[in-house]
Amino acid sequence: MPFARLLIAACLVLITAWMPPAHSETTTQRAMPETMAMLRYAIATQTVEGKDQVPAFAQYLAGKLESAGFAKSDIEIIPVEHTAALVVHYRGSDKNLKPILLSAHMDVVAANPADWQRDPFKLIEENGYLYGRGVADMKTNVIAIIETMMRFKREHYVPKRSMILVFSGDEETDMASTRELAKRYHDAEFLLNADAGGGTLSAQGKPVVYEIQAAEKTYADFKLTVTSAGGHSSEPDVPKNAIYRLARALDRVAAYQFPVQHSEITLASLKATGEHNTGPIAQAMRAFAANPNDAKAAAVLSADPAYVGQIRTTCVATMLDGGHALNALPQRADANVNCRIFPGTHIASIQATLTKAIDDPSVKITVRPPPPVESPASPLRKDVVDAVSAVVHQRYPGLDIVPGMSAGASDSMYFRNAGVPSYGVDPTFSKPNDTFAHGLNEKLLASNVPWALDFWQALLTKLSQ
Amino acid sequence: MSTHRTLLAGLLILALGCSPLLAAETTAQAMPEYMGMLTHAISVETVQGKDQVPALARYFANKLEAAGFAKSDIETIPVGNTEALVVRYRGKGKGKPFIVHGHMDVVPANAEGWSDHEPFKMVKDGPYYYGRGVADMKDQTVALVETFMRLKREGFVPQRGIILALTGDEETDEFTAEEVAKRYHDAEFALDADGWSGEYDANLKPVLFGVVAAEKGYADFLITATSPGGHSSEPNPDNAIYKLSVAMQKIAAYKFPVKYNGITLASFKASSARMQGPLADALHRFAEHPGDAKAAAVISADPAYVGQIRTTCVATEFASGHARNALPEKATANVNCRIFPGGTVTAVQQQLQRAVADPSIKVSVQDPAPVLGPISYPVLPQVMTAVTQAVRQRFPGLEVIPVMIPASSDSRHFRNHGVPTYGVSPAFAKPGDVHAHGYNERILATELPASLDFWYELLPALARAK
Repeated sequence: MPFARLLIAACLVLITAWMPPAHSETTTQRAMPETMAMLRYAIATQTVEGKDQVPAFAQYLAGKLESAGFAKSDIEIIPVEHTAALVVHYRGSDKNLKPILLSAHMDVVAANPADWQRDPFKLIEENGYLYGRGVADMKTNVIAIIETMMRFKREHYVPKRSMILVFSGDEETDMASTRELAKRYHDAEFLLNADAGGGTLSAQGKPVVYEIQAAEKTYADFKLTVTSAGGHSSEPDVPKNAIYRLARALDRVAAYQFPVQHSEITLASLKATGEHNTGPIAQAMRAFAANPNDAKAAAVLSADPAYVGQIRTTCVATMLDGGHALNALPQRADANVNCRIFPGTHIASIQATLTKAIDDPSVKITVRPPPPVESPASPLRKDVVDAVSAVVHQRYPGLDIVPGMSAGASDSMYFRNAGVPSYGVDPTFSKPNDTFAHGLNEKLLASNVPWALDFWQALLTKLSQ
Repeated sequence: MSTHRTLLAGLLILALGCSPLLAAETTAQAMPEYMGMLTHAISVETVQGKDQVPALARYFANKLEAAGFAKSDIETIPVGNTEALVVRYRGKGKGKPFIVHGHMDVVPANAEGWSDHEPFKMVKDGPYYYGRGVADMKDQTVALVETFMRLKREGFVPQRGIILALTGDEETDEFTAEEVAKRYHDAEFALDADGWSGEYDANLKPVLFGVVAAEKGYADFLITATSPGGHSSEPNPDNAIYKLSVAMQKIAAYKFPVKYNGITLASFKASSARMQGPLADALHRFAEHPGDAKAAAVISADPAYVGQIRTTCVATEFASGHARNALPEKATANVNCRIFPGGTVTAVQQQLQRAVADPSIKVSVQDPAPVLGPISYPVLPQVMTAVTQAVRQRFPGLEVIPVMIPASSDSRHFRNHGVPTYGVSPAFAKPGDVHAHGYNERILATELPASLDFWYELLPALARAK
């Protein structure tokens, strides 16, 4: 196909994509300036660990909701140490129906401005992308949900089933606020999590698949510690040096691969993604979905950072700390190794495997608190799948909607653990490896913002009626 | 009795002191004054940030003036919030003067870590005096001031002038040493009283006296690996921590080329004669056949000796990551190097870069910019002779040899200005016994009068020569 025609086709797709339900078209357009202003404020509020800005951000969101007509008594800010959770009740008319929980998180991963090309805490629009810490993970959805609640309230929408916003304040770190929320609000019909699932685009921007996250891997942090006697750096004892021994251990962790695993959810997910893509990875997905013992296919998938987690437990070094003075030999060096464990595998077995891979008794391996939480897969509910499919198909007719297992750890794990079936239904669409969530220069396709407003309004209307 | 008689005796001593030929206070007579000044000096917290060096310098200047030094021969050189004190003992000959230098500042001391004593109060406990600076190095700084006072009171007139230079930031920036060296480098040689020259064995038997004629260059290098980062659930093989880990193992395995100079060969020869076992054999063989690869391998395996035959570099700090659940964007290590004299910072940087063998890893020099210095070897014969004599007055027959130390001091600033400089500290210690820079810094009480003896013997001996 000539390039020009491809471009026209792509534009048509985009135009179609932005065409929301007829009755709310003007509303969404009208909602955009307010949404972008709130998002700009949200990105500028540095809700990173240590800056203690989450309570202020929650207060800001509460103020917006009140101004849209929410009663003060329906908004609750739960302080949890230096952060806070935000709970908002949208009361339904039928008190016998259990509520729907809407989960999101207000905090973001830290970002060092010196390492970024742009100010991480300033919303910047460039070449069809939004840039800033949190645009993808996940302040765009936080604001889109808040805006949707404000629109509902202003339109005096009365659902049958109640909705409760359960926004956490430390999802990226301790999840203490999530634990508190799950403890208080687990008597619910189901939970929709805006921080999981979502749409995949091809590199050319064509929709490939939409995933409803129904399971997630278990999140665990292991601490590797090596100690040595220390001493003056002018008398270096190389074999005993804690930094060198830790470096060798990390080299072994880097080289180790956990065994290949699969489940119904991962096979369905790989099959759908494989069928909608071309190239060696797509071929491997199809081959693996057809035969999970296909070692060649597993090797191809393992080489791709975006898919290796779908077929294996993965562990990766994320932090280092060692030494106490430039001119003193280190007395201690430690590393954090972050693992995403395939559901069904226990923490202790992963610890044993790491110990064997490192093969050095002088390297101490411990599980970091809080204790890892294992979460069961959530049974797929027809009402949720149908509603999500209908809304996604408004934008991308016929797009495959598949269940997925995410690499964790989302807030859902605590709710699943507490018995609430949870579904990750992030409306945003992204190309693989394009958002740099948690990394440098985090970005999100700007077209996701009006779409997210349409998505939440349509989906929540369907599910709460 | 006898307040009167004591007073008379005191006056008599003072009167005698004014007459050069009758001279001679004994060390025992000088000790109370010395101990009084040392007690005061320890109580002045000359740590960086407290700006107390000028007060201590003024105290010494007043004492020296009272002993007879002309105001015009005492100079203070302010540098930032600290300063150097320079005192000139004029000689009557035409030869160049020599310098004797020490420092007035000390490293900080956190009182909580000191077991029984406050750091800034000198206390005698058992055979030791305790206090921050009793060993590094107010003991010698005050001994030099006391010796200048004694000599002046006795009317001693040297042939060769002596310049006493006391610096004010040796433990930190060394700006005052650089300033003094810039102004007073027209000197025959310099003695650095801040050396670890005298070594006792565990039974307090003297082992040797080292004349520090060289020091290794100190440099810190920052090793930096970067990667795109991202979510830890999508582990990318391009991981800064893994790249840095590989680099660390390569640096651990890398050995800088074997080096030697006259100083290290002489000290190996002397050490091997005292020791037994494979290391002693290796030191001996290396001294006989410099560069002997087998001997070098044995020496290199001993952390205490490897630095005598190579540049050494070792990882001392390791840092990376900004969140447990995020892939690292950057991982860094500090590699601390002790550069064999003759080497350059740039050459070591290039060797590290080659050892790492990964162009994506950056090897950069940490601030402040390192200052390396040349060696002062061979040791001037008149210095070697006079030092040996002074040492052997106390310990007859003790070996006195040139040595190279791994640490750095003010010496290299004088060496860089062309002044041969020798570290000669008369206080002997058992290895690891003084806790310099650490908690409970201490010195054997015996070393204090011995230090007065040493300087009182050495300075006139060197100053009498033409």
